[in-house]
Amino acid sequence: MDQLDDLLADYFQPALAPAGLADRLTWSRPRAGRGLMDAGATGQLAADVARFHIEANDRGVRRITYGPGGDETTRIGARHATQAREELAEYLAGLRTFFAVPLDLTGIGDFQASVLREAARIPYGLTTSYAELARRIGRPQASRAVGNALGANPVPVLVPCHRIIRGDGSWGHYAFGAPMKTALLTLERATPLLVGCATTRIVCRRGCRHERRMKESSRVVFASVSDARSVGYRPCTVCKARET
Amino acid sequence: MDDAAFSKLAEDYGARLYSVALRLLGNPADAEDAVQRALLKSFVARNSYSPKWAVSTWIYRILTNVCIDELRRRRPTDDLASAPAHPSSAPAIGARVDLSRALAAVPREARVLIALHYVDGLSHRELADIRGISVNTVKSQLARGKAILRAALERGPHGPARRPAR
Repeated sequence: MDQLDDLLADYFQPALAPAGLADRLTWSRPRAGRGLMDAGATGQLAADVARFHIEANDRGVRRITYGPGGDETTRIGARHATQAREELAEYLAGLRTFFAVPLDLTGIGDFQASVLREAARIPYGLTTSYAELARRIGRPQASRAVGNALGANPVPVLVPCHRIIRGDGSWGHYAFGAPMKTALLTLERATPLLVGCATTRIVCRRGCRHERRMKESSRVVFASVSDARSVGYRPCTVCKARET
Repeated sequence: MDDAAFSKLAEDYGARLYSVALRLLGNPADAEDAVQRALLKSFVARNSYSPKWAVSTWIYRILTNVCIDELRRRRPTDDLASAPAHPSSAPAIGARVDLSRALAAVPREARVLIALHYVDGLSHRELADIRGISVNTVKSQLARGKAILRAALERGPHGPARRPAR
């Protein structure tokens, strides 16, 4: 043991558990109707996918709304709608962290397009503020207009406008309602984004078909692709895991 | 795993897991939340447990996975570097502050391995199993992390950073 070992041993000495920890942990065990994103909560979210109304054309998904009525699609667009519904169901079940279905956002204004493009860059599980998004698109004074552009997002969830919250930490407006925004952000908090396979040493985004084949006992979570690379993993070429 | 088994898991490992989570995440509320989530995940994934693993290794893997995903959501300087000073080490607070600052210069994976190694005395083999890497990678990461720490400590708080924190 050299001096650095002593310093580290002292710095990382075990902390005392707070009073009542064991009781609180025991109380947190899964029970019907409660628990952090337990089967009941994710099941309810996943069931919500049936309530999405999807419009899609040959180029991709044009609009998602919440409520009664069947999908409106062209013949080829039906494929996009089906893919969107499958991906949304996986996302809401915590099995997917990205969307591959094409979107068709033609016809929206340049400003809204730039806002949605920037919103789509916010990584899964992270949030940012309206003001910060305004700054990122080079319009720092336009946070209210950014809020309006996001409020008119034709494809909520697919373009993750729920990841933008007010500067004071409150939710702000959400097309599908505040409870849905809470549910989505809670889901994203409980779901890892980058999962490595300990046997193949490949890191995938959650939702990749290779990620689904990983055995539970082989799963290792990484905070970034460069972290994974630093210990000998390589990014998957199928889901194109990239720097987050 | 039934209710009784879950309670036993929480009783047997709760304090140790908390200690590790606190050192990884740096604040008590996040640490307790991470332990709760890890225990719930271990309950949900109980069928994936293989007897070839020690229970502690299996549950540490789950906890580390939860903590690392939490670190992903943080700004680079919010994690380990902000671990609170231990009250019993008051005379050494200066050294702890220096070490805390120096740890910020260590890449995240190496920093996590150092924390797991020193908080709970986990062996290189256990660390390798927990992070899904080889024992040699564990050794090289620990050595590299400590070399960066030594250099940062020698340089002192005002020296130029040799590599940015990630």
